[in-house]
Amino acid sequence: MQQVLQDFFKAVRSRDITISAAESIEASRTLDLVGFADRKVLKAALGTTLAKSWDEKQRFDECFEAFFTFDSFQSDSEANHPEAATDSDAQPSSEAGTPDAADGDAPAEYEGESELVRMVLNNDRVSLANEMQRAAQEVGVTDIWLFTQKGIYTQKILREMGAQQINEEIAGLADRDCPRAAAQANLLRRVRKHLMQQVQNFVEQQLSLYGSGTSKRLREEFLMNARLSNVERRDFHRMHEIVRRLAKKLSDTHAKKRKQVQRGVLDFRKTLRKNVAYDGVLFETFWKTKNMDRPRIVCICDVSGSVADYSRFLLLFLYSLKDVLAQIDSFAFSSHLVDINEIFDEYPVEAAIEVALKEGGGGSTDYGQMFEDLKSTRIEHADNLRNIDHRTTVLILGDARNNYGDPRTDILKLVYQRAKRVIWLNPEPQVTWNTGDSVVNQYRPYCHLVRECSTIKQLEAMVDNLLKFSLAG
Amino acid sequence: MKDLYADRFGSVEDIQKEFLDAGYIASTEIATAVFIAHNLQKPILVEGPAGVGKTEMAKTTAAMLGVPLIRLQCYEGLDESKALYEWKYGKQLLYTQLLKDKLNELLGDADTLGGAMEKLHSHEDLFFSEDFLEPRPLFKALHEEHGCVLLIDEVDKSDHEFEAFLLEVLSDFQVSIPEIGTIVSKTKPLVFLTSNNNREMSDALKRRCLHLSIPYPEPELESQILRTRVPELEDNLRDQLVDFVHQVRALELKKAPSTSETIDWARVLVLLHAQHLDEQLVHTTLNTILKFQEDIDAVKELTGTLLAGDKEAGRKAG
Repeated sequence: MQQVLQDFFKAVRSRDITISAAESIEASRTLDLVGFADRKVLKAALGTTLAKSWDEKQRFDECFEAFFTFDSFQSDSEANHPEAATDSDAQPSSEAGTPDAADGDAPAEYEGESELVRMVLNNDRVSLANEMQRAAQEVGVTDIWLFTQKGIYTQKILREMGAQQINEEIAGLADRDCPRAAAQANLLRRVRKHLMQQVQNFVEQQLSLYGSGTSKRLREEFLMNARLSNVERRDFHRMHEIVRRLAKKLSDTHAKKRKQVQRGVLDFRKTLRKNVAYDGVLFETFWKTKNMDRPRIVCICDVSGSVADYSRFLLLFLYSLKDVLAQIDSFAFSSHLVDINEIFDEYPVEAAIEVALKEGGGGSTDYGQMFEDLKSTRIEHADNLRNIDHRTTVLILGDARNNYGDPRTDILKLVYQRAKRVIWLNPEPQVTWNTGDSVVNQYRPYCHLVRECSTIKQLEAMVDNLLKFSLAG
Repeated sequence: MKDLYADRFGSVEDIQKEFLDAGYIASTEIATAVFIAHNLQKPILVEGPAGVGKTEMAKTTAAMLGVPLIRLQCYEGLDESKALYEWKYGKQLLYTQLLKDKLNELLGDADTLGGAMEKLHSHEDLFFSEDFLEPRPLFKALHEEHGCVLLIDEVDKSDHEFEAFLLEVLSDFQVSIPEIGTIVSKTKPLVFLTSNNNREMSDALKRRCLHLSIPYPEPELESQILRTRVPELEDNLRDQLVDFVHQVRALELKKAPSTSETIDWARVLVLLHAQHLDEQLVHTTLNTILKFQEDIDAVKELTGTLLAGDKEAGRKAG
């Protein structure tokens, strides 16, 4: 019983649900309480002790269903069994002259020398399933974690079940030179094949039970370090998930800081006021607190061909951080600056990014024009609230390739003087900066920070830095 | 009075039956969670949208076990002094004034400051005793001799600090009051924490609790709930209503109607002596299930198709 539960924990853990030691103890106590009698109750009971959120619950349910239904020999349909399959798939492969007669007779007469063969021939599925379980446990199949291990585990289990004996029997029969022996050998070959298929299926199930977490993790690891422009469309979904998780982590760590109390400084006025009721005796004391500003961000994304992919993830990152950011003011540009805030108000984030990228795109990149537009909408605009001021952090994502136009560094200088920080993110590798029409160096003096930002990891570090800086200052 | 843990439930079905007697339809998940919580004496964290019966579940459990229900409503800024205890400052001040003479008398014969201090120390700490303690819900719950059901409602609205403070209470069922000492519960209360998923609770808190999420009920279950709660409602109207509500929930709305709102609507329909749902009726009573004007407008537009969908579904079922 304990073993079953242990294996189940392993399967649940592989689906990214953490189970602490305390929880596993709890689960076994729960099991003592409810027993195995009612499947529905068992599921609900283990569910309440192990899965701790809505999301985990879904994954738990899936895992439960998968774990408590496997039994490959029993669930096997008749068609897969060698005797039933004789008519359909055995005939072409049997080279003997009279396969029908041989196949018909052999099973009845041929008893097989090993236990295993007898089990297959007698269609004794329960024993087979048990035998396979035993073998699987012996070789520790629950440790499987990568699809490349499928072959080796299949072989190990087969060996443990005694498949070697079948081979020997086949070899023995082949030596004898008579049609009956040949037919029997054929039958045995089919037995072996069938067995192998069964074990393969079984191992595959085990892999999906225990290994799904690790292959996913490996893939994610890869994606975290991949250049964002190389991320393929089919991975976008997964990527969004990663970004959202990272953003959540960041927003959790930084959300707490907002309410930090400055210890040790007495708010004397408030204390006196409150304690008037107690005749001026200072019963209750009040300490000064410092409210941290939530950062206001103006985000300007280059959405021309090469940089668009990076813009996508930057925007995704920022909008996943809505809770910690007071205000995100975002623009897309290739030549003219396009205000994309409304798009984000209107659509859910993923869809909004697609629309924004489309809207801003087209035309050749012109940083000079972009700065011109920025000046008119966010520096000299009549509506003061939206202007860039000492609380604003300006994020610019772009490769600074200006097609040899006027870079208008004077406007960036103006922004630099007004804003709290100006951060330039360049998706190009640092060696290619300032080559060709790239003018990073001309912009660099008017930025607080210029960073290469081409992978999710770098993006995360940058956003972390951004939040840390703006919350500390 | 009976002890909270005096009767043990035999099985999950027993609980389901008892819940039913108390007028609460419990799904297997709910009954199992209560069963385990009661047997292992663990708190339950109940998550789910507003109005699916999270609070009701705690209330019913309390009624079922015959113990008092103590409720602590969480909100932003809730702190220990509101949740656990507070000194009665006014009373303390008043008493020091009233007892001034008595104190003078007592201390009168001490001639040095040190002597007076010494004398004062020889008396017990009267002003910081339980007489001057204003108990708040958590304190009350720990003090309840025969146990109680403690409902910590909407714990997701509280601050991180308070959540951390709850950890001590939930794992050991004891709290320390600096002036008095540690207060240990006599009988562990059965704790329900409810959350609307306003924010994710910390892992530490989740680990200490069983977790139960209650989704919107399936049509069958909801129909059953309506049957027990509003028995006056006619069968065909009930089916129609449940179908309609389920279709509304599938729409993109600011706030989807919850079970409690379905029940309200059923009551309204009974009051109006409605026989079946028609467009006019839906339009006039929609505000019982939808609480945002935009939602109401959106559903009003679709009422015709939704009702038609009903009939089709009904015909298919028939």
